[in-house]
Amino acid sequence: MDSWVIAMMLGASIFLGGIALIAFLWGIKNGQFDDETKMMNQVHYDDESELNDAVNQERKKEELRKKVYKPE
Amino acid sequence: MSNIKCDHCHLEFTDAVMIHDGTYRFCCKGCQGIFHLLKDEGLESFYTKMGETTLAPPLEQFEASSNFDSLAFHERFVTHDQEGFSQVSLVIEGIHCAACVWLNEKALHKMAGVIEAHINYTNNKARITWDNDTVALSAIIDMIRAIGYNAFPYDISLQESRVNKERKEYYLRMAVATFAVMNIMWVAVAQYAGYFTGITQEIKTILNIAEWALATPVLFYSGWVFYRGAYYGLKNKTITMDLLVATGASLAYVYSIYITLLEKGEAYFDSVAMIIAFVLFGKFLEVLSRKNAADTLDIMAKHIPQEVNRVEEEGIKSVSVNDVKVGEILQVRSGERCAIDGVVISGEGNFDESNLTGESEPIFKRQGDAIISGTTSIDALLQYQATKDFAHSTLSALVNLLENALTHKPAIEQLANRLSQYFSSVILVLALITFGGWYLYPHSFDRSLMVAISVIIIACPCALALATPVATLIGLALGAKRGILFKSAAQIETIAKATVLVVDKTGTLTLGRPEVIKEEITPSGAIDYLYSLVSLSNHPISRGVKAYLQKQYEVREYPLQESREIPARGIVARIDGVMIAGGNALLMEEMGIVVDSLSDASLFYYAIEGQLCATYHLRDLPKEGASQAIHHLQKSGLRVIMLTGDHPSAAHRVAQEIGIGEVHPHLNPEEKALFIQKLHDRGEIVVMAGDGVNDLLALARADIGIAMGNGSDIAIEVSDVVLLNDSLSSLVEAFTIGKRTYGLIQQNLGISLIYNSITIPLAMMGYIIPLIAAVSMSLSSLLVVGNSMRSRWMYK
Repeated sequence: MDSWVIAMMLGASIFLGGIALIAFLWGIKNGQFDDETKMMNQVHYDDESELNDAVNQERKKEELRKKVYKPE
Repeated sequence: MSNIKCDHCHLEFTDAVMIHDGTYRFCCKGCQGIFHLLKDEGLESFYTKMGETTLAPPLEQFEASSNFDSLAFHERFVTHDQEGFSQVSLVIEGIHCAACVWLNEKALHKMAGVIEAHINYTNNKARITWDNDTVALSAIIDMIRAIGYNAFPYDISLQESRVNKERKEYYLRMAVATFAVMNIMWVAVAQYAGYFTGITQEIKTILNIAEWALATPVLFYSGWVFYRGAYYGLKNKTITMDLLVATGASLAYVYSIYITLLEKGEAYFDSVAMIIAFVLFGKFLEVLSRKNAADTLDIMAKHIPQEVNRVEEEGIKSVSVNDVKVGEILQVRSGERCAIDGVVISGEGNFDESNLTGESEPIFKRQGDAIISGTTSIDALLQYQATKDFAHSTLSALVNLLENALTHKPAIEQLANRLSQYFSSVILVLALITFGGWYLYPHSFDRSLMVAISVIIIACPCALALATPVATLIGLALGAKRGILFKSAAQIETIAKATVLVVDKTGTLTLGRPEVIKEEITPSGAIDYLYSLVSLSNHPISRGVKAYLQKQYEVREYPLQESREIPARGIVARIDGVMIAGGNALLMEEMGIVVDSLSDASLFYYAIEGQLCATYHLRDLPKEGASQAIHHLQKSGLRVIMLTGDHPSAAHRVAQEIGIGEVHPHLNPEEKALFIQKLHDRGEIVVMAGDGVNDLLALARADIGIAMGNGSDIAIEVSDVVLLNDSLSSLVEAFTIGKRTYGLIQQNLGISLIYNSITIPLAMMGYIIPLIAAVSMSLSSLLVVGNSMRSRWMYK
C-alpha cells in the first residue's frame, strides 16, 4: 500500500475538520453563543421576514456610514 | 361572570371593567395604546409569538426621556464604535419572554438611524448602536417605552467586560484544544497499534507529522495561558504549576520534532496536547465559577432613587438627586425612599428603617427628627430640609463602602495552589537529576533527555489540576439541589475552614415580621370588622394581625367608611354607623379607653364604639429549627455571634431562646462591618449570614457572606452563598457541604500524589514509553474524577 494514500487522507480530513473549527471559532467570537436562552429560541424567529430585516439593517448601516463619511 | 383576557397583556379581568374597543378588550389605556401601535407598525405577530405568556401592564409614568440626550448622560454612558456610530448599554425592564426580545429588536430596527439593537434575553441587557445625527437617543427610549417596556442606562464597567472577555478567550482556547486532542487520539491509536504490531518508518513519520500539525495550535494557542502564567510566576520569583506545564509541554514538543525529523524513536505529541487540554479544562472550570462583582453594583444602583421632589416657590418639582443642595426643602410621600439625609420641618409619619438599622418596628418621625437616606416612608407625607448633599448622604456613603469592600475581598489561599508550588519545584529538580544521572552514567544525550522529559510528562499535573475544580463542581451541584447556591467555587473551600459564624437577627434567625403570640378576645368581638380594618393598613403590626385572623378564622372583608390611618396610633373607621378602631395604647388612651399596656411584646388593641374587644400580643418569633441549627453549628466548633441593630432587650431575648451566648445589639451597618473586620484582623475566618440592606457591608466584608433567599435583592447580590429556602437547616447544610467538598479535595490531591510517587520512580528508571505516559495521564485524571463522583453518589 502506498503511504501517500494515508498522508492524503489524513491531510484532507484534518483540513476539513479545521474548516469546521474555524467556523465554530468565528461563531464564538461573533457572540452567537453568548446568550444561551435566546439562542435556543432563535428557531422560532427564523423565517423570510427575519432575513429581509437583516438585509435591510445591513443596507441602512451602509447608507448611514456613507453619510457619515461623505465630506460636505 | 367569566373573566376575559386583555388583548395586549393577556391578564384576565371581568368584562365590565375592561375598555371595549371594537372586538378587542383592554385592561387599561396603556395596553390599548401599545396594541394599536404594534398593529400600525405591522408587528402584531408579536401576539402569536408570545403564546400564553402574560405581560405586566405598562407603566404610565416615566421621568422625561430628554435626560437621555443631555451632555452629561452622553459623557457617562455613550461610547462610539470605530465607524463613528454611538453605542449605549441599557437594561430593559419588562422582558417576559423571547417574543418581548423579538419585539424590542424589531421595533428599534424599524427606526431610521438605529443600526443595531441587540438584547440579551438572559440578563435583559441591551446594546444599541445608532447614528446620532439621524435619531436622538431619547426617541429610541420613547419607542421602548411606547411598546410597553422601560430602559435604564448602565455603565459597562471595565470589570464586567474583562470577565466576559476572559471567559470567551477560554472558550476559544478550549475549542481548539478539544478539537486537536480528539483528532490526535485517533492518530495515536494507529501509532500504538504500530508500536506493538510493527509499522514502517515511513508511515510512522506521516503519522508524526499529522500529530505535529495538530499539536502546534494546542501548545501555542491554547497553551498560551501557561506560558503567560509561567512568565508572571517567574517575575514574582515563584515556581507555579504553569511553569511545570509549560516546560514539560515545550520540552516534549521540541523533542518530538527532533524525533520526527530524525525518523527514529517515539514522539510525544499526543502527551503534549493532552496535558494542555486537561489542565486548561481545570482552569476553565475555575474561570467559569468566578463571580461577577460588576453585576452586583448595577443592581445596587437601581435601588437608589434618581430623583427627589424639591419644594420650590412655584410648587413641587422633581429634580435629579445630584442637583439638591444643602438647605433645600424636599418632600417625601408615603411609599417613597429617601435619597438624601435631612431634618423634618413639617408633617409626620412612620418610617421603615429596617433597611439600615434592622429595627423591625416602624419609627415615628415629626418635626425636628432626622431623616436618613435609604429609609422608606410608610405612611408619612412630610417636608424636610437637606442637611447633606447626595454624595455625602448615608446611602451613597454606604454604596461607596460596599464597592470598596467588594473589590478588596480577602482571598484565602487554596490548598491546591499551595501544594502545586512545592510539587512543581520538586518535579523540575527530579527531572534535572534524572537527566544528569543518565548522562553521567554513560548514556547518549538523546536517551538522557528523553527519560528526563518522560519524568515531567508522567508527573503531569493533570490530576492535580482537576482535583479542586471537579470536587468543587460536585459541591456546587449538591448545594444547588438543596437550594444552596454557592456563587463561586473557591468559597466552598473557604466555608470549610471558617471559625466564626456571625448572624443577623431580624429576618435571619427570626421570621422578620411580628406574629401574634397571644389573643385576648371578648365574645362580642366582630372578627370580620377587625379583619376589614387591619386590611386597610400596611403597617407590619396590622399585617401580622391580618395574617393571624386569616389563619384562625373564616373571615370576610366589608367595605368601611371614613377610614383613616392615624400615624403612630392606628386605624379608625366606621361601618353601619358603628365606630371601630384598632391600634396601640396611645390610640386607646386618646379614645378614653383604659388599657393595660404592660407587656414586652407589641400590643394591638381593637375597640368597637369605645369598648375594648380584643388585645393581640405580637412578637418577632425565631424561625422553626433555629435553636437546633445553631446548636449543631456550635457543636461543630464554630463560634456563633449575633449582631443586630435592634434593641438590647429584644436581641437578648431571641439570643436566649436560640442559645447564642455572644450578642452585640444596637449596631449600625458600619459598626457591623467593623466588627467583622476586627474578627478578621485577629485571623479568624468569618462567615456572615444576613438578609437585609443593613447587613450589606458586613456581608461584603466577611470571608463568606450568606444571604437568605427572601432577603433584599442587594443582599443576595453581594453575598457569596444564597439559601433559597430561607431555613437555618440549609445554613447547617451549607457548612456540611463545604466540609465534605474540602475533604474530597484533600482526597483527590492525595490520590494524585500517591499516583505520582509510584510512576515517577518508574519514569526516572526509564521504563516509560509514550503509550504508558498517555494512559497513565488519563488514568490518574479518571481516578480523581471517579473519586469525586463516588462522593456524589454517597451523599444523596
